[in-house]
Amino acid sequence: MSQAPVLDLRGIHKSFGPVQVLHDVAFSVYPGEVTALVGDNGAGKSTLVKCIGGIYPIDSGEYFFEGEKVQVGGPRDAAALGVEIVYQDLALCDNLDIVQNMFLGRERRSGLILDEATMEELAARTLDGLAVRTVTSLRQRVSSLSGGQRQTVAIAKAVLWNSKVVILDEPTAALGVAQTAQVLDLVRRLADRGLAVVLISHNMNDVFAVSDRVAALYLGRMAAQVKTSEVTHSQVVELITAGRSGELGLQNGNGATS
Amino acid sequence: MTTSEPTTTAGKPPVVSERVVTTRAARANAHIGKHAQTIAIGVVLVLLLIFFAFSADRFATTGNLLNLLRQISPTLIVAIAMTFVISTSGIDLSVGSTVALTGSLLAIVLQHGWDPTLALVAILALGALIGFINGWFSSYQNIPPFIVTLAMLSIMRGTALRATEGYSTPIDGDLWIVQLGQGRVAGIPVPVILAVVVAAVGWITLTRTPFGRYVIGLGSNGESLRRTGVNTRKVGLAVYVLTGLAAALAGVLIATRLSSGSSNAGSGFELEVITAVVLGGTSLFGGRGSMLGTMLGALTLGVIANGLVLLHVSPFYVQIVQGAILLLAIFANSKVWARFGAVRK
Repeated sequence: MSQAPVLDLRGIHKSFGPVQVLHDVAFSVYPGEVTALVGDNGAGKSTLVKCIGGIYPIDSGEYFFEGEKVQVGGPRDAAALGVEIVYQDLALCDNLDIVQNMFLGRERRSGLILDEATMEELAARTLDGLAVRTVTSLRQRVSSLSGGQRQTVAIAKAVLWNSKVVILDEPTAALGVAQTAQVLDLVRRLADRGLAVVLISHNMNDVFAVSDRVAALYLGRMAAQVKTSEVTHSQVVELITAGRSGELGLQNGNGATS
Repeated sequence: MTTSEPTTTAGKPPVVSERVVTTRAARANAHIGKHAQTIAIGVVLVLLLIFFAFSADRFATTGNLLNLLRQISPTLIVAIAMTFVISTSGIDLSVGSTVALTGSLLAIVLQHGWDPTLALVAILALGALIGFINGWFSSYQNIPPFIVTLAMLSIMRGTALRATEGYSTPIDGDLWIVQLGQGRVAGIPVPVILAVVVAAVGWITLTRTPFGRYVIGLGSNGESLRRTGVNTRKVGLAVYVLTGLAAALAGVLIATRLSSGSSNAGSGFELEVITAVVLGGTSLFGGRGSMLGTMLGALTLGVIANGLVLLHVSPFYVQIVQGAILLLAIFANSKVWARFGAVRK
């Protein structure tokens, strides 16, 4: 029951000066599924995500969204398509409260004045919809939240908009066991609601716990995109560390040659 | 944009409620911390008012209080704008020199026979331009605003001295523009009315508009704000335009109040303004601003200066007291209030 990918990148190249970070990368993301994006440090995961989010312009390659070829020139373009990124460093403002953070940059207003009541209600409905019961007050400052709660708010912020693709950059990296389970549960629920979720993770347990597909980057090349159910733990590790695993992966075995 | 309809997924077990990390007491403390400084400065102000009312004969008279309000109006106007700048974790040291330059130039162009309305518009535009230059260097070129505005302080003061050759330039008392500094409407001095209007607009802008939220966001976590697609440089530049504009208005008020434009006006003005802002609880490290606090801070400074003079204390002490207050306020901001759970970066 293979559906059409909602987000489809083909032949993406990206260099920073003389350093080529992404070589001919293809990447597909499907609605209702969690796609784990894995790779070693420096494999190009963050760069790929930033290209998807419009933070970095791509040098060459094609960006298809829902089958249409699109140009993404900045974060606003990506947001307009329905692509939201939750960054590793928890891009929340400590001194603002939960509602203020969720609407930051896209405030609702009546006339010139902020419409706090509407924003608070929409925030509450979104958190309810995600079955988030860990925050006691929407008017709590983010600085008073725990790591898991912050990650929850960051994710809720991403789905508040009519988003179709949500990209989570290492959402569990700084969390304890219980909080990790909670965030993974939330990730699964996002996909169950029909969103396409991309999960960047270094943690194989997380990848196998929650993902439907695995995409492995190796030295700036896409080594393989496979269904999680069709690979083993060690195969994924080989893809990450060597770029190939048996029949899977880059057949020349060396991603650095061009 | 619309939000996606919340749909709870069936069949999934509800999340186990995470232990609420903040205790009731901690939350109460955080709430006090949020407003503690504003409350504290309000209490200090009331105590000072009571003290001076009993110790200085003429302090608690309508005449003196209106005079006091008129004295602090320029400070308050610039402090309102400065609250935006400091909330973004910036600083504008050039406001005092801008007051001197704009006041002097106003007097000079009026002497050259400019129409007062045209002169007023030109002077305000000059203030905005000075702010634009400050903002462009600090926000677009990432040069520390401390240095940019310190350089601007010197440039503006020098320009004012050059333009006036150090002399005061009189302003003709028959021109309508003099009413800005000296006039009264229903017994209330015009500068006070202007200051109240500026304060009201500033308060609404900071607390009730997206721009105000971006200002706090920029001071709190600029990168996060940028990633949501907000043009953070523009926000960072705009706040300096506000202080430039406010300083030009203050320059006009001071010059027309005295019927004379002087290149020595506004010396130490920046310190007074920054003290008022910091005293009100706005964090010098950004991300936290209180307009009400700034108003109370400016009033407190005005009351101290006015009260000490009425008590026949040497006016030279006023500066010493002001500096001491600034130091104490920063100390309190970063060391004392932090205990109430209010976050300081």
